[in-house]
Amino acid sequence: MKTALIIEDNEDNMRLITLLLEKSAYLTLQAFTGMQGYEMALRNKPDFIILDIQLPDMEGTEVLRKIRASEIENRIPVIAMTSYAMSGDRERLLAAGCDGYIEKPIDPERVITQIRGVIGDQT
Amino acid sequence: MGKGRHLAGTCRIKVLLIDFFVVLSIVTVFSCLATLPSRAEARNVVVGVYENAPKVFTTKSGKPDGIFIDIIEHIAEIEGWNLRYVSGTWGEGLDRLAKGEIDLMPDMAYSGNRRMHFSFHKVPVLSSWSQVYAPKGSGIHSVVDLNGKRIAVLERSVQQYAFVRLVDSFGMKTTLISVPDYQTMFKVVAKGEADAAITNRFYGLMHAKKAGLEDTSIIFEPSDLFFAATKGDPKHLLDTIDRRLSDQKKDSQSVYYQSLKRWASEEVHFKLPTWLHILGYSLGAVLLMSLLGSILLKQQVTMRTRELKLINREMEQRIAERTLELTTANNKLKELDQLKSMFIASMSHELRTPLNSIIGFTGMTLQGLSGELNDEQKDSLARVYKSAKHLLALITDVIDISKIEAGRVETFPGKVSLKEIVEEAAASVEPQIKEKGLAIELHIRPDVELTTDRKRLLQCLLNFLSNAVKFTESGKISVMSTESDGYVTITVQDTGIGISEKNLPKLFEAFERLESHLRVKAGGTGLGLYLTKKLATDILHGTVSVQSREGEGSAFSLRVPLDREHSHAIPEKEKGAEA
Repeated sequence: MKTALIIEDNEDNMRLITLLLEKSAYLTLQAFTGMQGYEMALRNKPDFIILDIQLPDMEGTEVLRKIRASEIENRIPVIAMTSYAMSGDRERLLAAGCDGYIEKPIDPERVITQIRGVIGDQT
Repeated sequence: MGKGRHLAGTCRIKVLLIDFFVVLSIVTVFSCLATLPSRAEARNVVVGVYENAPKVFTTKSGKPDGIFIDIIEHIAEIEGWNLRYVSGTWGEGLDRLAKGEIDLMPDMAYSGNRRMHFSFHKVPVLSSWSQVYAPKGSGIHSVVDLNGKRIAVLERSVQQYAFVRLVDSFGMKTTLISVPDYQTMFKVVAKGEADAAITNRFYGLMHAKKAGLEDTSIIFEPSDLFFAATKGDPKHLLDTIDRRLSDQKKDSQSVYYQSLKRWASEEVHFKLPTWLHILGYSLGAVLLMSLLGSILLKQQVTMRTRELKLINREMEQRIAERTLELTTANNKLKELDQLKSMFIASMSHELRTPLNSIIGFTGMTLQGLSGELNDEQKDSLARVYKSAKHLLALITDVIDISKIEAGRVETFPGKVSLKEIVEEAAASVEPQIKEKGLAIELHIRPDVELTTDRKRLLQCLLNFLSNAVKFTESGKISVMSTESDGYVTITVQDTGIGISEKNLPKLFEAFERLESHLRVKAGGTGLGLYLTKKLATDILHGTVSVQSREGEGSAFSLRVPLDREHSHAIPEKEKGAEA
């Protein structure tokens, strides 16, 4: 069973994405700030990360930069999540080192498919 | 002589007065009787007259007149001379004077030869010169022009001798025509019997113009003119003349000067006809009136100008004030407009967050991830889900439009494959196409690459495609592209309901939902095409256009530059003409 780290400050969204992932047989870890997410990523070494890019303490891209800077052996796939996709977000996020990209509102029909596509999980 | 008679009369009156003032009158009567006979006895002076106006001449009434006559009569009046005149030609005058038949000949130029025969006084009456007069346009200007010409001269005059000397000294030949007087001379020239005439300046001044002659610049023989007396001056007239002349010449108001003024100025001799006088006065009056009028008018104009200037200044001031007010108001409006756009943008963002939850959770529940739902629950939740999505679409469009209108849209140009982006847009509407049983065809060349804002281009294409799907019940949707002049045109064609001609112009305006039986069923925000147009023009630097016929389908086209960064050459009219 793969473990996902969800870094998201909005509780509703956190619960929604957690539910969707759990129903799809993933384990989940929850972080509500950027710093917390960064520490958990280092400590728990999740299989992939769902990262909200608008966090209260720091920019999502900053969290991503810190994670990427501290990785030694394994590169953890990171899927960015934005509330409203600003023009250029996609390019900016991919350039910053994201592996995938999902838009809010989360479409329950498609989001798991999108995630699986990014992490290469065929199950 | 008149004066003498007058004095006698006065004496007679005085004699009558004796009756009243006996003692006084005896003395008076004696003195009168004593002086009168002695004067009359002593001076009977005979003066020669010839025709040489204005110096000396005979008036129409037969009376002698002229400058010399004025002077001699004045002297005679003072001296108590009795004057008598004898008229004749100049030559006759000279003869008579030589014989002693007359006492004085006026207007005599002094010369050595004449001194032999006559006596002259010393103070000249007039200074004159001889001058050549010729018909207007004769071409006679200087002495040499006189060579070979016929010249009329006064017989035995000073001019004649002087002129002969002058012509001889130039070695020229002229024919002299002697005439008895100046009148004849001018007539001879006027008839063409002579080419020029020689007169003194006084006569010329007075008569040349009338005779159709003009003065030439040939002037010679300046001379002083005198009264000449019979040789030896037997009546001792010359000293008296000198004395009186000297007195007169000292006084600018004297008879001498009055006479000169009267005779020697040209204008005097032109008598204006009465009608000309009347005309002159009328013209003068008119001129005066118009002058007064113009002064009055000028004053009025000045006043009005001042008023107008004042009004103008006031107007300018008011305009300046108004302009300032308007500018301030305009700036406020601009600020407000930006605030409005900012407000809508940020409010919309806040609205989205709760909507995300609604859509997310209803969607998840509808999926059955939280347990099976019965049909009624499913239907109700589906309605919530659909409305929430509609609301979200509206908010998203409003955010976009506000941002564009506030000029706060950032663009992110990048390389875009035309085929890929069209396929991506088509994929998004595929579920609905399948649901409706429609077909979709893509005719896009695989090698076309654009440099533009990918997301916005996709947004435009999606709008066209979702519209096409919405309003088409059967048939197919085609997407094709053409390129020309650095632009690519992407057309989305459908076999749907089409748009009536009446509705076509309103198509790209905000909230213009067209009347149609499909309207309710189709849904949509009413902002889609308005936003598409804004994106196409403001962000992508392109244009949108539509071709449609009611009941036969529509074709929406998007024309964008292949390279957005180098598309500044888009003609403005093209922007306005389409869309």
